[in-house]
Amino acid sequence: MDTILTANDTRMATKKSGFTRELNATITILARGVVVSLKSPATLIVSLAMPIVMMGMVGGNLSQNMAGGLGFDYGQFMLIGMLINMLFMMTSQGLTSLVEDRDTNFSQEMMIAPVSRYSIVIGTILGSAFMAIVSMLGTIIVGLFMGIHLGAGQLLAILALSPLMCLAAGAFAMLLIGCIKNKKAANTAVTLIMMLQMVLSGAIIPIANSSGILAVLNRLIPMTYCLDLTRAVVYAGTPEYSSVVLFNPIVTLAAIIALTIAFLAIGTFMFARSESHK
Amino acid sequence: MQNILEVTNLTKRYDKAKTPAVDNISFSVKEGEFFAFLGPNGAGKTTTISILTTTLSKTSGEVKIAGFDAEKQAKEVRENVGIIFQKPSLDPDLSAEENIRFHACLYGVYGYRPTFKWMTKAYRERVMELAEIVGIADAMFKPIKKLSGGMQRKLEIIRSLIHTPKILFLDEPTQGLDAVSRRSLWDYLNDVRREYGTTVFLTTHYIDEAESVDNVCIINHGKIAACCSPEELKKTLEYDPTPKICLPTLEDAYIQYLTKIEREAV
Repeated sequence: MDTILTANDTRMATKKSGFTRELNATITILARGVVVSLKSPATLIVSLAMPIVMMGMVGGNLSQNMAGGLGFDYGQFMLIGMLINMLFMMTSQGLTSLVEDRDTNFSQEMMIAPVSRYSIVIGTILGSAFMAIVSMLGTIIVGLFMGIHLGAGQLLAILALSPLMCLAAGAFAMLLIGCIKNKKAANTAVTLIMMLQMVLSGAIIPIANSSGILAVLNRLIPMTYCLDLTRAVVYAGTPEYSSVVLFNPIVTLAAIIALTIAFLAIGTFMFARSESHK
Repeated sequence: MQNILEVTNLTKRYDKAKTPAVDNISFSVKEGEFFAFLGPNGAGKTTTISILTTTLSKTSGEVKIAGFDAEKQAKEVRENVGIIFQKPSLDPDLSAEENIRFHACLYGVYGYRPTFKWMTKAYRERVMELAEIVGIADAMFKPIKKLSGGMQRKLEIIRSLIHTPKILFLDEPTQGLDAVSRRSLWDYLNDVRREYGTTVFLTTHYIDEAESVDNVCIINHGKIAACCSPEELKKTLEYDPTPKICLPTLEDAYIQYLTKIEREAV
């Protein structure tokens, strides 16, 4: 039965440590991201308009002009690319709220809390993932209107992978955001890095034949591995698998996890440091 | 009474700054004490509070709060402190209650639930009780953007107390508030001190707010200029500024003391 907490009860509750408190803090920050997004009509409109621009216009043009001679269905290849690109783009953009919170001084409220800086960053990434998944669903609908179909099993597999993709996207974005103190600069940096990732990762242009410096860059960015793992799951058991998938899925999954952990650790360290070292 | 706060030889020099913002200061605060940290603009008050509350790193020295080292045991220190920042730090996109819920859940006092109604009865009653006391119960479900500066300040006070900290840092808490709001805030803060034995660490430019403190430290140009009780500081007055009306106030002593040390420095 509920009772009013006394001062000592409250202090004891605050002293609860470990996983439960960190999880509660992460969920709280995640929920804030969702609530703020739902309260912002502009954010919702952008999330739903983005798939029309990216998938309908960019994808549609590419599909009509590049589809020949590839040995696989370019529409499906590009749809998967756009889905992962959307997750990366919207999660990274959402993460700039960490910089915005500095402007409104709200970051002080989070930084003074007795929780891990990782909980703050992961909560913010997952909060941003909400709108990213809304955009991803919008992309699937636009794809359907364009006549590009994915099976229910394939869609569920993509949906199941999406939290990991968002975490990978957020961790990569943290590398930049962790050391930027100005929102305008953060937005510009995120846009630049997203354009580079979209071109270099193979989201819309196959990279199987890339060589030299481009091949090196392809393999340095996490979106390449996220796309490859998703395509490995979607194309599993099909004749196109060898033409579309670059790496062994186990290796890809290991690369995603390793890069995510490394980027998250470096980005969170830089973010915490930039807040307290002035 | 034990010391709840101990500062030893604390120095902070900002990146690229020629002189330290806080220069080798030492002082202590006892448990349950009402302590004022006064000084003119740019003296180093906010820098010191930021270091004490673990949001800013120090250059050198030692800070202990509730027995924990502020740098090595930052999480334990954060569990024991509450703060009202100089600049409002509310999320303008959330409602007043959502801001409180965010804080309470972040501190692990309550498990997060997506609506006020779904939160525990204990949370709901505590929030509404605090809101009634500071007089903002009607505004609890309004967006922050629609609250006046005074109401936002009151909300920050509720938020800072929801986890019942042992030591509450107030960095110019009544800045921009009207006289009635200031009075009601101080009435409530005094009740909190009495009921929970909360230590209060205050910085303010309204010196009358510090009239009833147990001890006062004056910081000037990053250095501690004086650390004593208000009565001791008043004894340093060279003249009685209001001889026929009332006894000298702390504000009289503070202004004269600062003027004197500035004059001596020149």
